[in-house]
Amino acid sequence: MSVLFFSNCHTDPAISAASSSHHNHRNMPVRVLENTAAPSSQVSGANSGRSSCQSCSLLGVGQAFSGTQNVSSVQKDEAWRVNVRIQGCDLEHGYLCGTMEALNVPMADTPVVTFWEGEIVDTKNYTFFTGKWEASPEDDIRHWSKFPSFSPLLGQVEADGGKSLDLSNYPYIFMRWKEQYFVNVGTDCGLTIAGFYYICFSCSNGSISGFYYDPNSSPYQKLELKSTNDGRSGFSFSSYELQ
Amino acid sequence: MPTPSASSDPILDRLASSDCAVKFKAIREVKNHIIGNRTKKHSYIKLGAVPAVAAALADSDPNLIVQSAAALGSFACGVDDGVRAVLDAGAFPRLIGLLSAHDEKVVDAAARSLRMIYQSTLAPKYDFFQEETMQFLLSLLESENENLTGLGAGIVIHSCKTIGEQTILCHAGVLEKLTSLLDSSLSQRDASLESLAAIIRDNPAAVSEFVELHGGRALHSVAELTKDRYPRTRLLACLCLISVKNSSTCYLQDIGIKTKLVYILLELLDDSGQVGDEASFAFSSLIAEKEDLQKLAFEANAINKFNCLLQKHPVQPKRLEGVFLALADLCSKLECCRSSFLSLQVLNLVVDALTHEDASVRTAACICLRSVSRSIKNLSAGRFMNERVVCPLVQLLSDLSTSVQVAALGAISNIVVDFMPHKSTFIECGGIKELVQLTKSMDSSLRLNAVWALRNMVFLADKICKEGIFVELTASSMASLICDPEPSVQEQALALVRNFVDGCVYSVEHAFAEDGIILDAVGRQLKKSTKIEIGIQGMYVLSNIASGNEFHKEAVMQLLFPQDENVSHSFFEQFLQSHDSRLRTAAVWVVVNLTFPANPGAFGRIVNLRSFGIVSRIKKMVNDSCMDVKLRARLALGQILTFGDS
Repeated sequence: MSVLFFSNCHTDPAISAASSSHHNHRNMPVRVLENTAAPSSQVSGANSGRSSCQSCSLLGVGQAFSGTQNVSSVQKDEAWRVNVRIQGCDLEHGYLCGTMEALNVPMADTPVVTFWEGEIVDTKNYTFFTGKWEASPEDDIRHWSKFPSFSPLLGQVEADGGKSLDLSNYPYIFMRWKEQYFVNVGTDCGLTIAGFYYICFSCSNGSISGFYYDPNSSPYQKLELKSTNDGRSGFSFSSYELQ
Repeated sequence: MPTPSASSDPILDRLASSDCAVKFKAIREVKNHIIGNRTKKHSYIKLGAVPAVAAALADSDPNLIVQSAAALGSFACGVDDGVRAVLDAGAFPRLIGLLSAHDEKVVDAAARSLRMIYQSTLAPKYDFFQEETMQFLLSLLESENENLTGLGAGIVIHSCKTIGEQTILCHAGVLEKLTSLLDSSLSQRDASLESLAAIIRDNPAAVSEFVELHGGRALHSVAELTKDRYPRTRLLACLCLISVKNSSTCYLQDIGIKTKLVYILLELLDDSGQVGDEASFAFSSLIAEKEDLQKLAFEANAINKFNCLLQKHPVQPKRLEGVFLALADLCSKLECCRSSFLSLQVLNLVVDALTHEDASVRTAACICLRSVSRSIKNLSAGRFMNERVVCPLVQLLSDLSTSVQVAALGAISNIVVDFMPHKSTFIECGGIKELVQLTKSMDSSLRLNAVWALRNMVFLADKICKEGIFVELTASSMASLICDPEPSVQEQALALVRNFVDGCVYSVEHAFAEDGIILDAVGRQLKKSTKIEIGIQGMYVLSNIASGNEFHKEAVMQLLFPQDENVSHSFFEQFLQSHDSRLRTAAVWVVVNLTFPANPGAFGRIVNLRSFGIVSRIKKMVNDSCMDVKLRARLALGQILTFGDS
C-alpha cells in the first residue's frame, strides 16, 4: 500500500488526462499466458506432489516476516514498520496469499492491515512480465533488475521472457504481490492499494525484498522484511490443511 | 337362509371365488383402484389382497393370468411395500416361468410386471455368472418382443454393480445387443441407455469395448440421443457419455463435447420431474475433480442457474440435495466460482438448509459449505466465522446421522481457519466441547475429522484459545489419539500437537504436561510408524519443541538419542536419509534448532550429535538434490562450524 497523498487527488485534470494518455502509449501489448485461470485456492499447509517451484519451508503458511517499507526514496527516515503473515500457499498454481500490517502509518490511528494475493514467477503459471496493472515490460525489467539475484537471469528474460529458465533450483523466489482489500479499516483511510509489489524472496534465510509499483505513487518504495519467530530460540512451523 | 361370510371383506371373497368371471372382475377392479393411487395400494396390501391376486397366476385361463400379472405389476410400481408383498406371495418365480408361455399376451403381461419389480432394489439379484441364467438374459435381449428386451435391460440396470459383472456381460456380447436396441421405441431406447451406462460405469475396459463397437457408430448413436426430444432420453445419453469420458483420457476430451454436455445438463435442470432431480447428480459426475469442466460450467453461468433453482419454493429434498452437491463440486477448486457463489448470496440458502429435516440435505449443505470455504481470501475476511454459520454447524455435531456429523466436521475444519488468534465465535457456540467429544467416538471417521478440525483451529491460535482447548481435550487424550489405531488419526493428532507447541515459548510447555505423556507418545509413534506423513509431522513437533528453551532442547535430545539404546538404528538417522525430501527437510530443521548458536547448551549438543554420526550425515546433505534440504543443511552446518570443526 502507499500514501494516497501522492496520488492524483491534487493533480490538475488536464495534466491527469495527459498522464493517462502517456501511460497508454507505454502499455505495449504483452503475450499473456494461455492458462491464466483464476488461482485455485486448494491450499494445503503441506505441499505434496511435484511442482515447478520447489517448496521452501520458510515460505509456508503461518510464516511471519517483519521489517520496513520506505515510503519515500529521498528521505530515509520516513519508513513504516511492516508485518507480513503467509496464509495460503499453492505452488502448483503459483499462488500465495497473506496479510500485510503497517504499524506507524500517518493519518491512521491503528495499524492498517491488508490482504494480498501473490503470483509466483515459476515460468509455468506466471512469467516475469506482468502484462497488467499498468506495468510495461520496461517497468518490469527496471524493477526486477533492482534485485541483485535477478542479474544472472536478465539476459534470458530479455531474450524469451524467461520461458526457458529452470527456476526450480534457484535459491530465490520472485513474486508479484497485489493487495486485494483492507482487513480492518475502510477504503477512506487515506491510503491506496492500487499498485503492487515486485518481490524477491531468499530461500536461504527467508528474507524478503520488494519494491512497490504504482504509476501514481512515489516510485521505488522499498520493502525489506526478515523472517521472525515470536521470540523462539530457533525456527518453528505451524500448518493447517483445508478439506 | 344364506350362510354368513367367513371373510371380513367382500373383495377377498370374490378374489378367491371359483367362478372365473367373478374372480376376473375382482382382480380388474383391484387393478383399476390401485393404479396411480398409493393410498389404495397400501390399503389392499394390508388387506392381504396380493396373495389372492398372485394365486391367479396358476390359473388355466390366459385372461385371468394377464389381469393378475398386470395387477401385481401395479402393486410393485414405485412402492417398496408392494414389491415386498409381491415377492412374499411367491409371484416372482411364477412370473419368470410365464415368460415361456405360448400365449403372447401372457408373456407380455409377465414381462411388464417383472420390469416393475426390477425397478426396485428389493428385487432378487440376478446372477450373471451362471451360464444358464446368462443364456436366459441373452434370449430376452435377442427377442423380437419389446417387453422382453426391456425386461432384459431392466435386469442389467438392476443387478450389474461390480466390475466382474460388467466384464462378464461384455464378454457375453450384451453391449452389442443393447446398442442395437437404441433405434427402438422410447421406453426401449431409455432402458438400453441406462443399462449401457450401468455396464460401462467406472470400467475402462468396458468403455473401450463400447467405443470400438461398429467402428464408433455405437458411440455416435448415443451422442445423437443427447439431442432427442425427450428429456429423459437426453439425460440418459449424457450419463453414458459422462461414463465414457470419465473412464479414460482418450475419449470425448475435446472442448466441444464438454461444453455441449454442460449446457444440456444445465437445461435439463429446468425439468420439474425426476429428470430435473437427477440432472444435478449427473452434472456433479461430469465436473467432479475436473478444473477445466468447472471452468466451462462457470462460464456457462451455472452458479446463477443453481441459485435460481434454489429461489423457487418449495424445493423437494432430492432436488435440494442434488443442487448443493453440484455447487460443492463446482466450487471445489476455482476461486471465481466461490466469488460468484458468495456475491449471489447463495450462502444464506445453504446455511438455512443446515437445519433441514432431511439428513441428506443437511449433509449436502455441509459439503457445499466445505467447498466454498476453501477460499483463503474469504476465510481471511471472516466471511464464515460468524454466529449465523457456526451455530447451526455446531448443532450438527450431535446430529443423529453420522454422515451429517462427518460432513459438518469437514466444513468446520475449514471455517476455523480464519487466521484470527482467538476463535471466539466458535468457542461461544460451544464448538470445542462438541469437537472434543467426537475425538472419543467409536467411529474412526468421526475421530479423524474431529481431530482435523481441532488441528486447524489451533493453527496460529492465541494462548487463551489453546489453553481452553487443551484443558477440554487433556494431555492423556492427545496421547491416545497419537497412538490411535488409525494412521490418519495419528497423523492429524501429531499435526495438532505441532500447532500447540508453536507460537510463543510458553506454548512448548503443552508437550510436557502430565509428566510429558504427549512427548512420550510422539517418541513411541516415530519409532514405530513407517508412514511418511507421520514422520514429517512428528519431526515438526520435535523441531518446534527444540526451538524453545534449554530444557526443551535437551528433552528432544533425550528422545532422539536415549541413553540405553543402540543409536545406529535410530529412526532419526533414517529420516535424514528418507527418500521423501519433505521428511529430510523436517529432520534437518530439528538439527538446526538443536544447534541454534545463541544457547549455552548448543556446544554440548553438537558434541553429542557428532558422536552419533549426525554431523557427518549433515555434511553430506549440503549437496542434497532438493534445494530446501540443501539450504537447511548448510544452515545447520554453518551453526555447527561456528563452534569449530574438530
